[in-house]
Amino acid sequence: MASLARADLESLLHTKNLARTLTRFEPGARPDLEYASTGHAGLDARLSGGIPRGQVSELVGRRSSGRTALMLRMLAAATARGELVALVDALDMLDVESAAAAGVDLDRLLWIRGFVVPNPGLCRDMNHRALVQAVRAFTLVLEAGNFGLVVFDAGEAPADAIRRLPFTTWLRLQRMVEGSSTACLLVGSDRMTRSPHGLSLQAPALRAAV
Amino acid sequence: MYACLYSAGINHDHRGARSDRSENLLNAAGTASAAVHRGSLAVVAQQFSPRYESRGDLVVIDVRGLERLFGAPRAIGDELRRDAADRGLRVHVAIAGTQTAAIVLALARPGVTVAVPGGETAAIAPMSIDLLAKIDHDDAAVAAIAAFKRWGLKSFGEIAALPPDELSARLGQQGLRWHAIARGADVRPLVPDVEDERFESALELEWPIEGLEPLSFVLTRLLEPLSLGLEQRDRGVAVLHVELRLVTKNTHARRLELPAPMRDAKTLRTLALLDLEAHPPEAAIDRVAIVIDPTPGRVWQHTLFARPHPTPEQLSTLVARLGAAMGQDRIGAPVTVDSYRPGAFEMKPFATEHCHDRRGARSARSESSREISASAACAAVNRDVALRRCRQPVPARVAADANGRPIKVTTDRRGFAGGAVIRATGPWKTSGEWWTSGWDRDEWDVALSDGGAYRVFLDHATSRWFIDAILD
Repeated sequence: MASLARADLESLLHTKNLARTLTRFEPGARPDLEYASTGHAGLDARLSGGIPRGQVSELVGRRSSGRTALMLRMLAAATARGELVALVDALDMLDVESAAAAGVDLDRLLWIRGFVVPNPGLCRDMNHRALVQAVRAFTLVLEAGNFGLVVFDAGEAPADAIRRLPFTTWLRLQRMVEGSSTACLLVGSDRMTRSPHGLSLQAPALRAAV
Repeated sequence: MYACLYSAGINHDHRGARSDRSENLLNAAGTASAAVHRGSLAVVAQQFSPRYESRGDLVVIDVRGLERLFGAPRAIGDELRRDAADRGLRVHVAIAGTQTAAIVLALARPGVTVAVPGGETAAIAPMSIDLLAKIDHDDAAVAAIAAFKRWGLKSFGEIAALPPDELSARLGQQGLRWHAIARGADVRPLVPDVEDERFESALELEWPIEGLEPLSFVLTRLLEPLSLGLEQRDRGVAVLHVELRLVTKNTHARRLELPAPMRDAKTLRTLALLDLEAHPPEAAIDRVAIVIDPTPGRVWQHTLFARPHPTPEQLSTLVARLGAAMGQDRIGAPVTVDSYRPGAFEMKPFATEHCHDRRGARSARSESSREISASAACAAVNRDVALRRCRQPVPARVAADANGRPIKVTTDRRGFAGGAVIRATGPWKTSGEWWTSGWDRDEWDVALSDGGAYRVFLDHATSRWFIDAILD
């Protein structure tokens, strides 16, 4: 009965030309998509080649879960391929030395620093306006096109600030990336959005690293 | 058919037993005089044909079709010489079927010389091979003349009589070139001089305009024809000057230096508007003028084997837009600095041109890793952990045991709840720049019961603890 209702719903979405919003898990690489290697052979094998280009993917993890290390590794892999990459650092928390140590070619990294919120807060007190500006910068980079990997890092942004963004923001991002050769990655503490054929990566805890 | 004018009055050789100062003055005067002579030769050439090429102290003119105006080639030559004389120039004039023959004859013979069509080789055959040095102003020509003289050759005709394959075997491709010159054949086509064009445009407005939106239309109208002219001349914009005359009679002038030559009207308009958005005029505008400093166009070879990069135009526009949205100091490429100061970095403008070559990328990366700072080298030991820097360290309350090892970390900051220390490594003592407002701290990496791992430090100057970064 449930499957029938789902089939009806999918049929209705197809009729209304809204089928692109449907997400269905299909194991294995899609032949119509290109993939950007993450720089981690084991992860690439699990992801059928990496993160898909022309799709919005997300990397989600708690604090100290290793999401930043994985993000830097992806940036390093992209610059090693000769691609230009951009990082919209919404809270201005990139550690340049960590990036260099991870192998990121810094000359090929366009770093856009969001506004650090002055006293009293640093991360959780980030105001809504700064996040909106960061999203605007992100859309400008996507509009320019031809970047290999574009990352929006809101890793320490509070969940309520993310939720305050209009839902259409994410739809617009998906539309902008669709059909391009850019791999788009959102990094956050909680899930934000992803394209129908994008990936959601959950970073595990990394407490043992200390 | 070509004519060549050679002004024997241009002389660069001012050697003599004079003092250094007087020699310098004489050289300067001679150089200026030579430049005037060259300019006058070009003016003479312009009177007869738009297709002429200046080559140092001579000018080659394409005189095909002038027979209908002046008659026989000798009449053309006489007319050229008369026009030059009217301008105070004493010139040698030669007319021949090839540029090379015309040049050799003009260099060698005063007055007007005409080579009959098809007889160029015979006309220049008796000329001395020393003229090669005047045709090719390089050391190779001097060496070749010496070689020819060693072989007993004295005239162009004797070089032309040599078998070209043997000459090529001894002198390479240059030998074939000199053989062609000795035969009076052209070794390259005429490249007509093109007058430097000024790229500027202005528009007087009937009604003063305020705001950038109406200005956008005016800029488009001015820039589109300029862009077309630049494209036809294979030129790009190096500097874009925007001059706005205001109703207050003041002029609001902006100067945009572009990182790469570009000529796309939309890109130029966007860059000009973004700049004016950041530096708006103080009153309404009643005249808009655009002046462009041109530069040779950019030759861009795309590769089939790498993903395309954003073009310099796209990147310039993007950087300008990001600068307007976020502030110029918030965008760029990060640079590590050679300092032990924790979290030290610099920013530089993001380059608009990058090589596609992965080897280039690798070499650039290895270069940057050679410049990596000492503390980055420490960070590189554990590549699986990256830091998230708190640009303003978060004040923390830390309880420590008798050995100074943190056992509990808490803060008043939302999102940094803190907790008991599960594991801690440290301390790493670091200090520096004591001669300024330096730092002196003990750093600890701690894993807390809240699930987070942090880099905390004890600042010896204030005896207070701070969270410096999140290990992630």
